Amino acid sequence: MAHTSAPLPRSAPETAADLLDPRVREVARRRGFAELSEAQEQAIPLLLEGRNLILVAPTGTGKTESAAFPVFDRLLRVAGPGFKALYITPLRSLNRDILARMQWWCRELGLSVGVRHGDTPQNERRKQSLSPPDLLITTPETLQALFMGRRLREHLKNVRYVIVDEIHELADSKRGAQLAVALERLAAYAGEFQRIGLSATVGNPDEIGRFLCGARPFALVEVSVASHLDISVRFAGEDFAAQTRAVDRCLDAPGSTLVFVNTRVTAEALGHQIFPRGDVEVHHGSLSRDVRVDAEERFRNGEIRTLIATSSMELGIDIGHIEHVVQFSSPRQVSRLVQRVGRAGHRLDAVSRGTILATGFDDLLESLVIARRAKANECEQIVPPSGAADVLANQVAAIAVEYGEIEVSRVREIVERSSVFAGCGPLLDAVCRQMAEHRLIRLDGSRIIRTGRARRYLIENLSMIHDERKMEIFDIVSRRTVGTLDESFVVGWMHTGAVFITKGQLWRVLEIGDGQVTVEPATRAKGEVPSWEGEQIPVPFAVAREVGALRRTREFDRYSSDPGAIRYAEEMLARMDQGNFPVASDRLITLENADEGVVCNVCGGHKANEALARGLSVLLSARYGTTVGIEVGAYRFLLRLPENVRALEVQETIAGLEPAHLPGVLKLVLKRTALFKWKLVQVAKKFGAIDADADYERFSIHRLISLFDETVIADEAYRELFSDYMDVDAA
Amino acid sequence: MRLNFVENGPALLVEHDRRVLVIADLHIGIESGLERHGVHITSRSTARTDRALACIEETEPDLLLLLGDVKHNVPVTSRQEYRELPGILEAFRDRVPLHVAPGNHDGGIGRFLEPGELLPPGGALIDGVGYLHGHTHPDPRLFGHLIILGHHHPVVSLIDSVGCAARARPAYLYSGLAASCLPEETPPESRSRLLFVPAFNEFAGGIDVGRLWGSGLGPLSRCIDEKTAEVFLADGTYVGSPATLCPGDRG
Repeated sequence: MAHTSAPLPRSAPETAADLLDPRVREVARRRGFAELSEAQEQAIPLLLEGRNLILVAPTGTGKTESAAFPVFDRLLRVAGPGFKALYITPLRSLNRDILARMQWWCRELGLSVGVRHGDTPQNERRKQSLSPPDLLITTPETLQALFMGRRLREHLKNVRYVIVDEIHELADSKRGAQLAVALERLAAYAGEFQRIGLSATVGNPDEIGRFLCGARPFALVEVSVASHLDISVRFAGEDFAAQTRAVDRCLDAPGSTLVFVNTRVTAEALGHQIFPRGDVEVHHGSLSRDVRVDAEERFRNGEIRTLIATSSMELGIDIGHIEHVVQFSSPRQVSRLVQRVGRAGHRLDAVSRGTILATGFDDLLESLVIARRAKANECEQIVPPSGAADVLANQVAAIAVEYGEIEVSRVREIVERSSVFAGCGPLLDAVCRQMAEHRLIRLDGSRIIRTGRARRYLIENLSMIHDERKMEIFDIVSRRTVGTLDESFVVGWMHTGAVFITKGQLWRVLEIGDGQVTVEPATRAKGEVPSWEGEQIPVPFAVAREVGALRRTREFDRYSSDPGAIRYAEEMLARMDQGNFPVASDRLITLENADEGVVCNVCGGHKANEALARGLSVLLSARYGTTVGIEVGAYRFLLRLPENVRALEVQETIAGLEPAHLPGVLKLVLKRTALFKWKLVQVAKKFGAIDADADYERFSIHRLISLFDETVIADEAYRELFSDYMDVDAA
Repeated sequence: MRLNFVENGPALLVEHDRRVLVIADLHIGIESGLERHGVHITSRSTARTDRALACIEETEPDLLLLLGDVKHNVPVTSRQEYRELPGILEAFRDRVPLHVAPGNHDGGIGRFLEPGELLPPGGALIDGVGYLHGHTHPDPRLFGHLIILGHHHPVVSLIDSVGCAARARPAYLYSGLAASCLPEETPPESRSRLLFVPAFNEFAGGIDVGRLWGSGLGPLSRCIDEKTAEVFLADGTYVGSPATLCPGDRG
């Protein structure tokens, strides 16, 4: 396994390695760790002191070993029954690599290790229950399950070390909030333990520390990747053929290349074009596991030189040496670019080389901005969800089952130690009351008592991840089902009147029903913003604003030295200037009349534009008596309006909109959307109102939903939508 | 004869010589049915009953006609129904005389009723208007009159050029009878008409008015004369014929 190393000067009296138990050192040497990496040098002494630690470093810098060595060291010296260390990783299909490595280490050191996750076979589980290994590798969901078994829970009593890997993936999600509470439950049961978090680069690593440790102290080791990034941005052309040629040219360079694309559709399309080269494979989530593993193997041993991948490649999997990373189309977010490009290099040279191939004007400016921010280490900030009522409900139910009966005050004590639920007293009361409504717990004065339903609920709701349902696409013209879409894509990104592309064809949404989307074939018209099926990554507000600033200042040489890119950008803007069209920027919003309505050019990023568009749609609807359809992009959105409502009217409405009113307006508009209903059902499931496999389509679900109005369930649905889909503050 | 629409019901007051308040498809006990299907909520029967009592107060009828499916669970009456029904029916009786046209969910309802309250399954003619739940063939004597029926839970969705503005609201469907349905001896000048009334229970699923005719639900649905069919909202607002409301659904 490759790793960077910064050799210490000879005069240093003691390296971190010397602090380790000789047995660990010996095995490390045998594995090829002659010298420790920068990350390891810094982290190991702190960990050996027993301190909580967050280690921020890119993939391939020996992050896992940094955490593992000190833990192995300690495990060698301590004896006793039960699990002593937990290694928690969010990957649903556990990282095979890490697994294999950990197993190797433990075998060599004489420690026992076990793996437990959703697919672990029954006999393996039994073995762990009867004879618990020193180190247990598991997922957040399976950790929940451990509390539910009497014997397994006892095995947790001696846990002294918890490592959470890929913690940046968890910290801003409800899965993470659930894990944070689980760790507090563990501390309440087993006593305090050492907390170690391994993270990729983020804008605010302190927040990760708070997420993991609550109010407890922690140390932070950051290995900066920014200084090791060499990113260039090139304009690849406006049509797919030209873009493909650009990729081809990049692949002519020697060495292996990882080509990242944003959607599976693009991966396939590009793969198809490039396949004739003979040393290319495609890798994405829709392919079977065997196909993916095969591609990884062949890339690792040099049979193929290029992998075209979507984000399925991002997490930790070791595929050997990568010379070069190509990002096809803007990566949308700085942290994604940093993580992706960070995969290149890591042998003798410490520099990671990456090229972004921009595929259009917006794409180019966005890429330039993101590249600059990446080099300046300005990554997006992690914002953990605060006060997620459904996570609280889930954990209250879990605690009730764990303890049988427990005082509310005790539950509050446990839960409030996590940073995501600090000060949650009133919320906890509301949540408990709602849970009692659905008979998930019983409330007896100040005590919570578990109910008969609770165990079954927990088994079905171990995870905060929601099962993805498929919705049928029904073409009203041919009167056939022409395909399926993930429900989350439909409710999150479609509106009536929206145009999207699936299976290579354009469709317009007529209606979003329960389980079905009714569409008609569409032709691409000016001003429409088609949505792609697949990974929808929102462009952040800060990036969009900077793009707007760039449009205004036109200081392209500050951002890039590539003449082709600069020329293209300047030409586009020149054409706008010639026609006397004002260009929307960070200081200017322009409104254009289009056939279908009004296009608002706002450099706000997806979430802020979503909030703004929805707010305007309801206000215009109220004023002019017509429903308003919307389509949202990062730099513009379309309001579908009747002929009498034009840009002028929209401008008036914007001018009359008080910022303080926006949240209220948005709640109103959200209420009737498929998105809100979908989210409400998800939250309701976590409160035990609806079983995971409930047959609720037989009843009028929208009437049921009105039951949740004004309850903590609806509040949570709004809270999540406001934070995940719409950026109200920015709007 | 006058029809008065009580919106927050939905309920219907039929005024002729007598004032008859029609409430259809109460489905008391639906919560225990929902529970079996994986939805867990506490009983809303009290609120529902209060809503019905408010309709009674507002309309001051001479008779309350529960047009079937007063209770929900079949074939076994649930514990919830045993607990709740007596009190609810008593509350109604305290204020106004009560009749029940039995529905397909009303197996065993007789034990909760007093003598004379239960109407025959083929329906009854009261004050010149025919009433039946709608899952059975009507008594032939009902033809030639306005026949009011429940059972079908008609709803309507209002869709404009940009999307669905109102989804599945309770609605009334009013139409003549298709000639094929009339018994042979019916005189040609008789005026048989159908009025499908919406369900009172807020959770009962519904059939869109445009799909009622082809639904096969109940023997009278296929008797809807599409040429004369009219749709009304719960407050009595006329919104058009089923054909105009659901243009995409033809065929």
